[in-house]
Amino acid sequence: MAGDRPHIIVEDLRVAWGTRVVLDRVSFQIERGITFAILGGSGCGKSTLLRYLIGLEQPQGGRIDIDGVGEPHRYEGIPPFGVLFQSGALFSSMTLEENLALPLTTWTSLRGPIVHDLVQAKLDLVGLGPFARHLPGEISGGMKKRAGIGRALMLEPDLLFFDEPSAGLDPITAVELDHLIVSLSRDLGITVVIVTHELPSIFLVAENCIVLDKQAKGIVATGPPARLREESTIPFVHNFFTRSSPGASATEGR
Amino acid sequence: MDTAISTERHGAHASLAAVGFFDLAHAAAVLRAVEDAPSQLRGCEHVDVDLTQLARIDGTGAVMLARLLDRLDNDGLQSRLAADRNPEAVRLIALYRSRRNEVPVRSAGAAGVLTRLGAAIATLPGTARGALDFTGRCAAAVPKTIASPPSVNWGSLPVLIQSIGADAWLVTSAANLLVGLIIGFIGVSQLGRFGATSYVPELVVVTHFRELGALITAIIVAGRSGAGLASEIATMKVSEEIDALRSIGFDPVRWLVVPRCLALVIVLPILTWIGDVFALGGALIATTTMTDMPIRMYLTATAGAITGTNFLAGLIKSPFLALAIGIVACGQGLATQGGAAAVGARTTTAVVLSIFSVIAINAVFTLLFVVIGV
Repeated sequence: MAGDRPHIIVEDLRVAWGTRVVLDRVSFQIERGITFAILGGSGCGKSTLLRYLIGLEQPQGGRIDIDGVGEPHRYEGIPPFGVLFQSGALFSSMTLEENLALPLTTWTSLRGPIVHDLVQAKLDLVGLGPFARHLPGEISGGMKKRAGIGRALMLEPDLLFFDEPSAGLDPITAVELDHLIVSLSRDLGITVVIVTHELPSIFLVAENCIVLDKQAKGIVATGPPARLREESTIPFVHNFFTRSSPGASATEGR
Repeated sequence: MDTAISTERHGAHASLAAVGFFDLAHAAAVLRAVEDAPSQLRGCEHVDVDLTQLARIDGTGAVMLARLLDRLDNDGLQSRLAADRNPEAVRLIALYRSRRNEVPVRSAGAAGVLTRLGAAIATLPGTARGALDFTGRCAAAVPKTIASPPSVNWGSLPVLIQSIGADAWLVTSAANLLVGLIIGFIGVSQLGRFGATSYVPELVVVTHFRELGALITAIIVAGRSGAGLASEIATMKVSEEIDALRSIGFDPVRWLVVPRCLALVIVLPILTWIGDVFALGGALIATTTMTDMPIRMYLTATAGAITGTNFLAGLIKSPFLALAIGIVACGQGLATQGGAAAVGARTTTAVVLSIFSVIAINAVFTLLFVVIGV
């Protein structure tokens, strides 16, 4: 472990689709071992930022540095981080067992019963032990996300990214998933980065966060979510955390 | 530092030390060490497990050590982890031991040839019933369509005619041209031996107009549009678009299958006719370059050979071949279940089945023409 060095450093990141600038001069750091949330309203560029953090896109300016990885879009080899995509992104024609085994059999020489054991251990870890033989089409949305987490954990990453983990889930399943994320982060000692706009998730899961804003094309607030809710004087941040519309906030004289 | 498990025995008591890297990168070495360990502990009753010499441990290493401890427990040994030293490793191993679900390893033995043959034959009646059922539903859709024209997506018809017909004429015509060339060459080389090259134009007209024109065009369309239609509908099926259609009260057969079959029925005879003209051109090139027959004479002989019967015998088959392609491709698409792989499998089946049915229907027509003496 690299001591006190931040796990992720983003400096002056610039993101643009063609001539349209989505994010400009975005800088923040994520400490090792914490659960960090990237927040903001729809269309503010938070999912886009995630695509850059996991190396799917090359920044138009600035730098992303992940400890032990360097610039993510240049990294080759065993992926040192896992990603849970919004829908779970399981391969629909493979069983859960085969979905989870795929990274292992691709990147290691392990075959046979030990692969089954390792896959089963991860399925047990995310609470899907009895569903190894099911196809993604045969399980619920929440279970698909759990299976997605299991697959993301197969290569033992010390960093996990989640894109809108509670999107499309009922409140109870969403809370269960949040608890799973918290317990995995604690039990495995990994850094977790979550992109979300779900307030209950944010307060349950995140130790620290940044808030992105569409108008500002960047970060408008940084800090623990509870503190931002109580102390922030920025109207957008206040409205975001108290779920009030700008109009309501104005009429209340805040 | 090598990855290993060292054991020391003192009578019925043993101490076991995990040494080195117990992580994904060293998974093969960890597996070897874990598999060797129980044999060295045979006859022991107590085992102390020492994790202080671990250079690194992750989930993979922890699972393997957890399974080793499970195995020792099953063998009746009492194992003890020294929890006070290296608590991180102890916690990780405990995590994977506490949430254990027993799921047996899938038996790897592949089914024998006879088993697979039996299974394939056993599904045949079901498949045949499904195919007949779908053909029946398509037939039943026709009167319903006439009774309620808005239940068909007529708006898609021009686009379908464009994609199935207009976009395909070049490739079907090129194929027909080449087949015409081939028939011309064969005619000249074979009939020439009897000094009968003047019959080549008639040979080409009879062979191509009556048989090969419709067949070649239908095979190309089956490969091209059959695959396109099947994969489009299969993708709609797996992404629940077909269910959505049903939920808003649309019959997928009328909404999707009828316009596609209609488009095929309209364009295939046209493509066949264009292909026939190109085939004549191909045969003309072959004959006039290989023999000294003048172009005018070839054209006159060809015009004499094109009788109404020859011309219609080919064209009358086309709509039936078109229907076969449409019903097979759409039927395979609608029968898709599962994910991305199922779409691929159904598309392949659709192409193979539609080409086969085109050839079979063509053979039936030929037989029929022989019987009725056309």
